[in-house]
Amino acid sequence: MAEAQESHGWKWLLCAPALVVLVLAASGPLLIVVAYSFLTPGNMGGVVWDFSLEGWFRVFFRRDIFDPDVVTLNDAHLAVFWRSIWLSLQTTFLCAVLGFPTAWFIATRPPSSRTLWLFLITIPFWTNLLIRTFAIQEVIRNNGTINTVLQWMGVIDTPIQMMYTDFAILLGMAYVFMPLMVLPLYAAMDKLDFRLVEAGYDLYASRFQVLWHVILPLVKPGFIAGSILVFIPSIGAYVTPRVLGGGRTMMLGNLIALQFGQGRNWPLGAALAMLMLIIVVGALVFYLRWVNREEGRNA
Amino acid sequence: MGVISTKAAATIRDNTGASVTEQESSGANEIEIRDLSKVFGQGTAAFRALSDITLDIRAGEFFTLLGPSGCGKTTLLRVIAGFEQPSAGSLRINGKEVAGLGPNARPVNTVFQNYALFPHMTVAQNIGFGLKMQGRPKAEVDATTTEMLRLVKMEAMAERKPSEISGGQQQRVALARALAPRPRVLLLDEPLSALDLKLRKEMQSELKRLQTETGITFIFVTHDQEEALTMSDRIAVMSAGNILQLGTPHDIYHAPSERFVADFIGDTNFLDVAVSAVTDDSAEITLPGGKTATARLPQGMRPVLGETVTTVIRPEQANMVAPGEGDLDGEVQSAVFFGTDTHVHLRLDDGQPFILRRQNSAETIEPEAGTRMGLLLSPGALRVLKG
Repeated sequence: MAEAQESHGWKWLLCAPALVVLVLAASGPLLIVVAYSFLTPGNMGGVVWDFSLEGWFRVFFRRDIFDPDVVTLNDAHLAVFWRSIWLSLQTTFLCAVLGFPTAWFIATRPPSSRTLWLFLITIPFWTNLLIRTFAIQEVIRNNGTINTVLQWMGVIDTPIQMMYTDFAILLGMAYVFMPLMVLPLYAAMDKLDFRLVEAGYDLYASRFQVLWHVILPLVKPGFIAGSILVFIPSIGAYVTPRVLGGGRTMMLGNLIALQFGQGRNWPLGAALAMLMLIIVVGALVFYLRWVNREEGRNA
Repeated sequence: MGVISTKAAATIRDNTGASVTEQESSGANEIEIRDLSKVFGQGTAAFRALSDITLDIRAGEFFTLLGPSGCGKTTLLRVIAGFEQPSAGSLRINGKEVAGLGPNARPVNTVFQNYALFPHMTVAQNIGFGLKMQGRPKAEVDATTTEMLRLVKMEAMAERKPSEISGGQQQRVALARALAPRPRVLLLDEPLSALDLKLRKEMQSELKRLQTETGITFIFVTHDQEEALTMSDRIAVMSAGNILQLGTPHDIYHAPSERFVADFIGDTNFLDVAVSAVTDDSAEITLPGGKTATARLPQGMRPVLGETVTTVIRPEQANMVAPGEGDLDGEVQSAVFFGTDTHVHLRLDDGQPFILRRQNSAETIEPEAGTRMGLLLSPGALRVLKG
């Protein structure tokens, strides 16, 4: 025992390479962003090393062009925040609703063919995100696949406008993030003891009751992991809203990019990025607390 | 204490739609199986798990399906439960055809081999699950749950999760959960196989007590012949998807119809002998060593004179006598001491092996290897096997 304790003294050094990478690659840039959010914007982008709360102030408020002392609430920024959260929640929900039957289908295949189905689910991951997004665009644009087929069938006369709407962004994000929901759900279902499903049927439960009272509670860890994995990248998504929303419907990622680019207001961009981080962490803490409380209530 | 209240029994009856008088009459068949087959897979890969099973199970009996693994006993149980649908034939529960119905539409509950308790529910929630799914009022669910907890002596564990109780306790909860909806038939799929010997003995008598108290028909699947003999009213011995013999434990043990049954249940001596005369239900045979004896014939079997048949006799149906004074003579090979009795392994004069079981008392002396002795067979104990 004493020997184990002793050798423990230097063994942490084995972690050092990973620690160095993590500190330099993750914490370092984060600290820079934090620092930038409290500085003054430079004229041609970048920052001037003067402390200022202006970046954080501008996240929520807007100054009148002629009289900087006239302050109004920046409802454009707030709308972007709200839309990002709302679309991310919708994406998570859509992924859960569509991902559940998908994962169930895979989990109930014979073990030999499961690998194939999982492979098919993960194929999109191997393709460049931008290309995948353009593929979606090809399907939903005015003279794209859906509208052409519907017009050819005579269902509609004029194309349905799907591009550059919230619907397009939602569809694109659900498509892009679906594997992140399906895989943890599948992992949870793979561990599910199917005799419990039989026991449910045996005890007079209908299909829906078995789903509700037996299957869903048992695969809940998969839903939790999947929801977190989908929600977090959704809220910061940049490429998908940019291409499918066409810049008309802006999301947080786009707003931040705008400040670092054309806006040339790096402190504001940094403050927005920090705020996004706070929202994600806050949502995560809130969600996990809620899950734990549900768990406690059931115990 | 009658667990099946009249009211609940009436509800089940309404579900199944059969007449009341038929129910109440003793000896009515709870389950009627006719020409039932189950084939898994198709074409060349097809596997016939059950072939043309015809079987009646009486209301209120403790019925056991006994056989080695892969004999089809679990498949038959799953077909009765509704987890598998028969490929052909009919299955009636309480007079109502149920082939095609799902498990949730049959008045039958199962105790699973590994219990299959819902891990996210408490013991009480597990027990109340069936009633809740049937849409019974909460007060009734709670009352029955309490009653069931008391029945299986698990009151103190009501709020525990299945992972927080022992294997034997999980077994009790699984029983209570399956009994709570007051099924007409309780199916038990090797429920005791996961328990250690002492606990298994306890649960055997516990099961028997519950069956007597509730009056519910139990169908018990096991590969343990001793378990089957001690607990059952009737036993069906299965092999390769067929029922080989159906009867009381006494019948199965003392009058096995086939070599497989005789071999599977208990220790048995097989003697190949020649037939010297045949009467209506018995044959005179010549034993190794030249003496004659009478052996009972199975129904419908008429061996020809001189034909060699296999007879069977249990180890406890012979006694040791002086050489030349019994029906058979042989030499002791070894003696195995079991406490209450000793198994003496002999080689008969014509080379056939014979095991004799002798009950021990303080005075009995172990026979030594190499000793010659005679064997006196109990009258009427020899039976000719079919085939």
